[in-house]
Amino acid sequence: MTGNKRGHGAVIGRLLAGAAVAALVLQAGTALAQERTKIEWWHALGGRLAEIVDKLIVDFNASQDKYELVGINKGNYEETMAAMVAAYRVGQQPTLVQAAERGFLTMLNSGAVVPVPELMQNQGYDIKWDDFVAPVAGFFLVDGKPAAMPFNSSTPIFWYNADHFKAAGFDKPGETWQEIDTQLRAIKEKGVSDCSMVLANDFFWSMLENYAAIQDQPWGTKANGFGGLDTEFVFNQSPMVVGQLERLQSWMNDGVLQLAGQGLAPDQLFTSGQCSTFVASTAAHAGVESTAKFNWSATFLPHEEGVEPKNSTIGGGALWVMKGETDAEYAGAAAFLDFVASPTTQAWWSKETGYVPVTMTAYEAIKADGYYDEHPTREIAILQLSRGTPTDNSRGFRFGNHNQSMQLLVKEVQSVWTGEKTAQQALDAAVEQGNQILRQYEKLHAGG
Amino acid sequence: MPVADGSIEIGGGASRRPRPSGGLALGRLFPRASRAGLKTAHFKQPWLAAGLLTPQLLILVFFFFIPSYKALSLAFVQVDPFGGIQIFVGLDNFLALFASADYRDSAVFTLWFSVVQNVLTLGLAGLFAFATDYVIRGRGLYRSIILMPYAIAPVISGVIWAFLFNPAVGPIAEMLQAIGIPWDPNRRPFDAQLLVIIASVWKHVCYDYIFLVAALLAVPASLLEAATLDGAGHIRRFFAISVPLITPTIFFLIVMNFVYGLFETFGVIDAMTRGGPAGATNSLVYKVYQDGFVQLDLGSSAAQSVVLMIVAVVFTVLQFRALERKVNYGV
Repeated sequence: MTGNKRGHGAVIGRLLAGAAVAALVLQAGTALAQERTKIEWWHALGGRLAEIVDKLIVDFNASQDKYELVGINKGNYEETMAAMVAAYRVGQQPTLVQAAERGFLTMLNSGAVVPVPELMQNQGYDIKWDDFVAPVAGFFLVDGKPAAMPFNSSTPIFWYNADHFKAAGFDKPGETWQEIDTQLRAIKEKGVSDCSMVLANDFFWSMLENYAAIQDQPWGTKANGFGGLDTEFVFNQSPMVVGQLERLQSWMNDGVLQLAGQGLAPDQLFTSGQCSTFVASTAAHAGVESTAKFNWSATFLPHEEGVEPKNSTIGGGALWVMKGETDAEYAGAAAFLDFVASPTTQAWWSKETGYVPVTMTAYEAIKADGYYDEHPTREIAILQLSRGTPTDNSRGFRFGNHNQSMQLLVKEVQSVWTGEKTAQQALDAAVEQGNQILRQYEKLHAGG
Repeated sequence: MPVADGSIEIGGGASRRPRPSGGLALGRLFPRASRAGLKTAHFKQPWLAAGLLTPQLLILVFFFFIPSYKALSLAFVQVDPFGGIQIFVGLDNFLALFASADYRDSAVFTLWFSVVQNVLTLGLAGLFAFATDYVIRGRGLYRSIILMPYAIAPVISGVIWAFLFNPAVGPIAEMLQAIGIPWDPNRRPFDAQLLVIIASVWKHVCYDYIFLVAALLAVPASLLEAATLDGAGHIRRFFAISVPLITPTIFFLIVMNFVYGLFETFGVIDAMTRGGPAGATNSLVYKVYQDGFVQLDLGSSAAQSVVLMIVAVVFTVLQFRALERKVNYGV
């Protein structure tokens, strides 16, 4: 995967030492620190994940003496993207920015980024672009090369409180949504928990888009946008997707499914033991492992009875390099990307966070360690991502300004929660408005 | 700080005519007000006048004229968020806006929110101000408690309110549910709207309170004493004498409350509901932010801010026209 220009051998061992070294550098060697080129990186990771990112940065800074990477959290993915765009318009953009899979096409066509392979080549790094695991390659590669460096890749999995399931008389969650329905209602009726499931903030991704992929239902035409900018949303035409939203609505009306609301993270309601299940990214491992004080576990996302489940889709971020920076900054950015792409960092990052390893080398290394035998829930995501042969409906989503249409979908779904609309009405409205955004995007990017 | 200016001027002594800052604002708009008593200054050296004006003009140029020009220029184009591509679309952004049900909903919410917020804020502040005279012990404490919300950043107060009323963990929400109210601002739009109103009023009551207390202090004691001798009670005196005499302040506060409701409740909404559920608390200003900075639809966002600017100007002029006749500046 990487030319390994510098030795990263002692990365893991130096984790703690790295922090100490950085502190020393700050205290004793201000002169030394000033000579380093500062590279700004805006990222979207919060909570426990932010702490791990900080470790990664400290470690990179300790691994060499030319560059100083400065990581800044700019909120969630949408907020980070908005901040970056605003900054770019006035020439204040960071060198590196982390953008979610949802922003892929927007970033790709933005004209504001330097393709990562070009940067790495110019800076003299030799990176093997064919080492990515299939689901990552299937989404991020355009003509065999990624425009951005895949960094934190994930997919939603089904998290559950094993104690609650046991108390309700179940060994583990069922494999189909029908079984899950029975179990969640039983957990509530038997008084095991007042909150059988809490709705994750990115439920549109974990409970709707991935539902469509796994059930092999089209979200949009033209292979979910992979086939061209003239794609249209069609998720309102799938009885299964409509049925899924109706199911969530009935759960919510019956008090089985709860919303955390503003000012409270849904993850907290799960890790505190209040809610029995939630469907969220495999990256929740970082938070769950460090805070949950009960027997938790995770499993594959459920599927409809009688449906052969397809793979789920990739989520999470990639690292993009922005235009308009100095050569020294690009050299630093390349050094960091090389550092990130090294199998050692990859394996460490995946183990710390729960994100899937993005390269085969890293995946094999973790597997060879026997890590997945000790932590079986860590392998669910990558197994689920690589299950079966991807179809046009399960490869992923590539829509222009997908952040925008997603926000509109969320707003429409909220009107199902409030009872103002039926599931069908809400999805119809979301498709109609979403298509306006797609047409607007097509109009702007028709030339390119 | 405008607060301090206003109260000092009003409490300035019996020989001067009490004139709240509302009168100053009017003076700029309506020459008649200046004839009513504003002093006119003449500068012999023009550079002094220019020098005194420059800071204010610079602020206007950088924070009003340049942004307004930018908004105007963006309102007629569709633009790639990164600024690479720009297509002139004429009035399309405006037409799309007026055809949008979301925008109408947002306008309707903003209107009734502003009115209710205004009435409640002024009513509560009036009650507190009226009561101030009758609080004998701990008057300082009483005032401090009422003034405290003003010192708390809107986002912080929003977070606190959101937590208190969170249906899953909030203590107040639990109390409400215990007495049988199915409180849930995540699913019941009216609850969310109520929450936003409560927080906005709570945040702004102190502002109105300061002005009202100061204005009430300037009501001549002789008039009140005369009324007392005539047998008027506390409440009668308040409504028959104090209120008519402080109408300029009340008028000024109504305008300020509308401005606050229209433009400054952004932080509270962002922290408590993010415009939800299903857009129930998506006020016009919050929508400008959502569409512009979250959705990155800069054309539509710019069109909305232009509309908002026109609405604000028209609204303020109408208010002055309508209310001016009932306001007695001559006392």
